Amino acid sequence: MKIAYILGRLLSALPTLLILTFFVFISLHLVPGDVVDIMLGTQNYLSEEQVQDLYKEYGLDQPLIVQYVNWLKKIITFDLGTSLRTGDSVSRIISEKFPVTFELALISLIFSLIIGIPFGMISAVKRNKLPDYTFRVLGLIGLSAPAFWIGAIFIVIISSLFPDYLLFGYVPFSQDPLSNIQVMLIPAITLGLMIAAQVMRMSRNSMLDVLSQDYVKVAKAKGLKNKKVIFKHALRNALVPVVTTAGIQFGYLIGGTILIEKMFALPGMGRHLLQAVTQRDYPVVQGIVTFIGVMIVILNILVDILYSFIDPRIELK
Amino acid sequence: MELKKLWKKFARSPLNIISLIIFIFIILVSLFPGLFATYDPMEMDVEYFMEGPAASHIFGTDQFGRDIYSRIVYGIQKSMMIASLSIVFAAFFGTLFGVISGYFGGIVDMIIMRVIDAMFAFPTLILALFIIALFGASVSNLILAIGVVYIPIFARTIRGSAITLKELLYVKAAKSLGKTSFSIIMKEIIPNLSSVLIVSFTTNFSTAILSEASLGFLGLGVPPPEPTLGGMVGEGSPFLLSAPWVTLFPGMIIAIIVLSINIIGDGLRDTLDPKISK
Repeated sequence: MKIAYILGRLLSALPTLLILTFFVFISLHLVPGDVVDIMLGTQNYLSEEQVQDLYKEYGLDQPLIVQYVNWLKKIITFDLGTSLRTGDSVSRIISEKFPVTFELALISLIFSLIIGIPFGMISAVKRNKLPDYTFRVLGLIGLSAPAFWIGAIFIVIISSLFPDYLLFGYVPFSQDPLSNIQVMLIPAITLGLMIAAQVMRMSRNSMLDVLSQDYVKVAKAKGLKNKKVIFKHALRNALVPVVTTAGIQFGYLIGGTILIEKMFALPGMGRHLLQAVTQRDYPVVQGIVTFIGVMIVILNILVDILYSFIDPRIELK
Repeated sequence: MELKKLWKKFARSPLNIISLIIFIFIILVSLFPGLFATYDPMEMDVEYFMEGPAASHIFGTDQFGRDIYSRIVYGIQKSMMIASLSIVFAAFFGTLFGVISGYFGGIVDMIIMRVIDAMFAFPTLILALFIIALFGASVSNLILAIGVVYIPIFARTIRGSAITLKELLYVKAAKSLGKTSFSIIMKEIIPNLSSVLIVSFTTNFSTAILSEASLGFLGLGVPPPEPTLGGMVGEGSPFLLSAPWVTLFPGMIIAIIVLSINIIGDGLRDTLDPKISK
């Protein structure tokens, strides 16, 4: 049963992955001019023959579908091409920059769960009372304020109150764990606030849902204390959708890291992507965008499979 | 009658009313920026260079001596225009794909939904950035980029509602009367999607404002020297510690706009959703 579900879920992702990669592939052919033109830039001293050789080298002389299949074969082995500017392999760039982005997103996610779940639960339990209103308004502000503005406020406040705080200047974790956490903390909180607000709203709704279920009413009717009902019966069930959706949010956090990495000058994948976009370094852009898309599809499958273990009612439709 | 009742329900919360007033004011600013601005947004004043808020320049001046308040006024116009056109674009194509997918089902549904799934795999900002990377930054490309990004969101919501609607008795009756699919979609399905559309339009409008501001902040929005809210934050951030007002005021305005739309969106959902009404 379970194996059939897992296999089915994996299979259902295949067309998505194919369409996704095809979309990224084909879109680069929509760019005015092609990779060779961009590479040559203003250097037009190459002979027609040399230009043709370049086309051959990049496989651009072949039909589109052949080019796509060849490209697919390459990305399966994690060969994402090389940067037009530096000649570095794109997969090496990703393996170097992604850990920074991953750490940032992970700390943000943990922060958002720590803040979002308790606030949401309290809001639900105290529905339509002062704490509920306060948290809901805070949540709305969290959802509305742009992350880069919150980041700017943090920078202004912290640098004037604690001039010694290490706000900028990334240090790898392996080199100095304490400084690393210090540098990452504020950017991670900035990034996590919006997700915290979402987690809070979700926890509140989920808890309200559970609280209106029959088994909770029965537990209350049996004379169990309110606290016990909430912590023993309701909380656990209410958390299931929250935690799994948080898994999905993780992929979207990766998108937000671009803003934060720029704001706090962190040497992550997002900032590198932005740089590649402004330099029109298409292989790097293509490689990183493909990497992010595929990663999120896989992440979603993992979350679904995890969910099916937590909630046995789930089956493939 | 019906409308009056809905308005009463919406107006029950003072927060909704305040947000609506703010939002109407923002629309007025974006329609008639000339009435609100006190300076030409491009005019550089060498005597007032990165000056803090003062009586002559209430939000201060930026690194080129331009009046921040007036740039914000024109920035609001740009942001509102780009966000609203993108969402109209997204709502149109999203509704089209969603209705076709939900109403016809089968293989058409499968193909459309797989494409939508693939688009969903990208965080909105990454997808918009990718489109800008391909076509370059300009007002029309921004509208296209943000619009494309929001199509899947509309398509998925509308598809769900279309599936529910097509099972309803009166739609089945229309079918058995021999009406064409086109006329059923136009006369029975689309009019009944209006409340779903209004709510998704509002909630996605607020995130579209954020998307436009984020792209502007990254330097991929409307090219300078045109003022945009996100762009002002991005251009001001190198001087954040010496001249925080250059960054903080435009950012605050983005937050206020998005907050007011979010509150209105929540209010509309509560008003239009029959499940929540007491």
